[in-house]
Amino acid sequence: MSELVAAYLPEFIIFVFIIINLIFSLFAGTSAYRISKWTAMLGIILAIGSTIYLQIDPEVYAFDNMFLTNIYTVFFKILILISGFFLILLSRNMIREKRDRASEYFSVFLSGLLFAMCTVSSVNFVSLFVSLEALGLSCYLLLALNKNPNAKQLTFGYLVQGAVVSSLFLMGLSVVYGMCAQLDYTKASLCFSQNPSQILLTFALILMICTILFKLGLVPFSSWLPDTFEGANYPISAYMSCIPVLACFAALSRILMTFLSYTFTVKIVLACIAVLTILFGSLSAIRQENLKRLMAYSMSVQSGIMLLGLCVFSVYSLSSVLFYLFCYTVANIGAWAAIILLYNSAKLEKLEDLKGIWYHRPYYVMAFTIILIALAGVAPTCGFVAKLYVFSAVARSGFVFLPFLIIALVSSVIMIYGYWRIIRAMFRRIETEIVTDPRVISSKYILYACAIASVVICLFADKLVRLCQLVAYYM
Amino acid sequence: MNFLSLIWLIFLPVIAAIVIMLPVFPNHQVKIRRFAKWFAGLHFIYSLLFLLFFDTSMFGMSFEKELTFFGMTWLKTLGISAKFAVDGITLLLCVLTTFIVLITLFMSKMHIRTKHKLYYSMVFLLESAVLGIFCAKDMFLFFVFWELLLIPVYFIVAQWGNSEARSAATKFTVASFVANMFLFFGMLILYYYNFAVSNVLTANIESLNMDEKIYPMWFQITVFVNFLIGFILRIPLVPFHNWYPDIQSKSAAPVNILLAGLLSATGVYGVIRFNMQVFPEIFKLFAPALMVWGLVNILYSGALSVMQAGVKKMVAYSQIAATGFVLLGLASLNQTGFNGAVFMILACSIVYCALFVVISSVQFRTKTTYITALGGLGQVMPKCMYLALIICFAAIGIPFLMMFTPKLMVLAGAMLSNLDQQLLVKVSAAIGLVAMMVSAGYILYFFYKVFCSVLLEQWKGLKDLSPQETSVLSALCLVIVYFGINPMSVIQIYQSVSSIILDVLQV
Repeated sequence: MSELVAAYLPEFIIFVFIIINLIFSLFAGTSAYRISKWTAMLGIILAIGSTIYLQIDPEVYAFDNMFLTNIYTVFFKILILISGFFLILLSRNMIREKRDRASEYFSVFLSGLLFAMCTVSSVNFVSLFVSLEALGLSCYLLLALNKNPNAKQLTFGYLVQGAVVSSLFLMGLSVVYGMCAQLDYTKASLCFSQNPSQILLTFALILMICTILFKLGLVPFSSWLPDTFEGANYPISAYMSCIPVLACFAALSRILMTFLSYTFTVKIVLACIAVLTILFGSLSAIRQENLKRLMAYSMSVQSGIMLLGLCVFSVYSLSSVLFYLFCYTVANIGAWAAIILLYNSAKLEKLEDLKGIWYHRPYYVMAFTIILIALAGVAPTCGFVAKLYVFSAVARSGFVFLPFLIIALVSSVIMIYGYWRIIRAMFRRIETEIVTDPRVISSKYILYACAIASVVICLFADKLVRLCQLVAYYM
Repeated sequence: MNFLSLIWLIFLPVIAAIVIMLPVFPNHQVKIRRFAKWFAGLHFIYSLLFLLFFDTSMFGMSFEKELTFFGMTWLKTLGISAKFAVDGITLLLCVLTTFIVLITLFMSKMHIRTKHKLYYSMVFLLESAVLGIFCAKDMFLFFVFWELLLIPVYFIVAQWGNSEARSAATKFTVASFVANMFLFFGMLILYYYNFAVSNVLTANIESLNMDEKIYPMWFQITVFVNFLIGFILRIPLVPFHNWYPDIQSKSAAPVNILLAGLLSATGVYGVIRFNMQVFPEIFKLFAPALMVWGLVNILYSGALSVMQAGVKKMVAYSQIAATGFVLLGLASLNQTGFNGAVFMILACSIVYCALFVVISSVQFRTKTTYITALGGLGQVMPKCMYLALIICFAAIGIPFLMMFTPKLMVLAGAMLSNLDQQLLVKVSAAIGLVAMMVSAGYILYFFYKVFCSVLLEQWKGLKDLSPQETSVLSALCLVIVYFGINPMSVIQIYQSVSSIILDVLQV
């Protein structure tokens, strides 16, 4: 029992707060939207506290070895919870408009966090499948919050494609179970190394990975990403670019490191996928006019770079990917805070609308510029150290990966231009009348905090690098 | 001696930039300007103190200092540290940087009329980046400052230039990012190949020396070429030079001064630090090609310079031509040529800075930089004309002015060079000598067109230089004349360093 508590307490706390929010939604009505918001935030804070407090043993299993808690999962869970906390703060204005649905929104939001955390912890194919599906479901529900019929059409593609890739996962799952009669990672990996028909098993695993690649918006499955982002509400798009990415990378790196680290072909295939994603994403990003679509392609490019780091299959490269994820999360939340801020205060959604914004809000624009520089991976920010770390991990792996490295470098330069267009637009000389709404305080502070953090992380990178190496070692 | 810390030298401008940007700092242009000038002046004096306490007989780096964050090395686990140090060459370049920033700030008052906070903080950020480039002891630290430089350059060009400045600035930034990609790639593979061979994870420039016996030739050539592409875009050399006249002709006058003084110096410094010191063998291999390349640079941009319609483009092209001499000197691989080349960087920065100061004064009065619209200004602006005459003579290479000694040393070095292709070397040196004569043509053409020919009707009422402009120009002329008469005072500072660099490179 104590093991169960040690492994599962944060999730349980989140679960309790989901129930509390659901009960609120029954009788609280429109007046209590603030209470449900604070409840949700309290839940997240308690969960973070318990995650940190309970981390005593190196490894704790629960639910018949389906669910693992160690430093690796704690790292991801804390990242997920903290970004969830900020995302709640960012969704303030959206909730104002839909007060009657606030409690429902928060229960769905928290359940998304819950299943993201379960995805991080699962060491069994079934639990992975269930958590990924439930995470997907909560995303569908959040997307459905937008009442605009056009938006429904845009997000419908995500639902359909999501269903298709889930069936791929099931197919792979059935093949693995049929061949090995095992669904546990460690036992199945033993079966993997001994089984004569390894090609079929590898194929089955790739089918399963497809689901994760889909959620990350990697190349064969990236078509849903910009449409869905455009159709969703702003905080939901921010949510989609943050929580599933963290959860999926945790799961993906675990699967890759457990099963596929010796298969050279898989490495090359994954590296091809990564490089194509980066190239395709950056080439598409430089033509976007809508900020949300640009951010969608940005997410695609960033996941591509991280996948390229993962393909190398070493503890070093894994730690570099963890570092990249951390920096990506900081910069991404900051970027969305800025975009939400601009939208809430003056309904700016296109690059054209941003022209001359510098004259009205110089400090927002400066903070946003720093964050965009961090996302682009340019020098005095955490993005640069992250890019250096991942690319150096790729360079370290030998000459096979050099072509991939070159393509990734070229496309990351293209992507720098993609971000540069936003900066250029904001500093344009055209004076426009922008009526700004002063009631956007929380996103402002998140924006400033992320901008400062992305510089400070660059200076104190060593501490974080060591932490990431420790985490990667314990996986 | 303890108060001399390179960390302060490099990061004080960043602090000043942040202070200016803070909301509590009054948004009043006079206060901002005064603060900026005082700061730049004190910073210049601070950098002079380094020169005063510098031991010229020292053979290695001095003033070594590591930036730690509460006792932690920056990125220690990756073998990357934030170490700074200077030798004779870089110390001179640092002093040059602070001096040029001071000059720029003195000239900024007339031309910068909006967004003062952003302008002055960006200038200080640029200064910090340039100082960081010169002082960094670590490859990736160098790269951080190298990329940091692009952000302020973009802003100061785009925000205060004319209507086309924005596209020119974007062009420069994009081109630089592409070049930086080559540089970054070269650094990455060098970093890991070094790790694979020596089993020490380090990015310290001194410990990266490529030995021909250990590292295969093709690898060294690959990295060398990658580095070279990264640096020559910044210098700039001929096929990659297009951005430079472009941003110079479109940006505001004080920005011209700043860019003319600092950008090409960083590029040349990169070539010396990386291509010469890390890959001496490959540099020897490439030296004849580089010599010819420098020559092409001198002739081609000299010819382009005469054809320009704008004064700024004209001077920018002639600066590119003058940087060709630097390459000629570096490629000759002997003490004379190398010392001349390093002196040439300094002379080029100072002289072309001064030329842009002259142009800035003219532009402020006439609001135009087209050569057809100017003429005969010497009649109404005699002070300006006489000071400009000294500067133009210096640019040509008249004896006892700053550019004479380096040009002479470079050409002598090229003539005496022991490279294998003797015929090529001698022919190059001879052509360089002729080109030096020709350069007199386009500089004097510029001077004649602006100050001497018939005075146009609309310029009759122009006022002569203000006391501030006069003092700035006189200070520059004083520097030009002093180091023209007394070149050894500069050369002896970096003599010991250049002898170490050339020990390896000597043919």
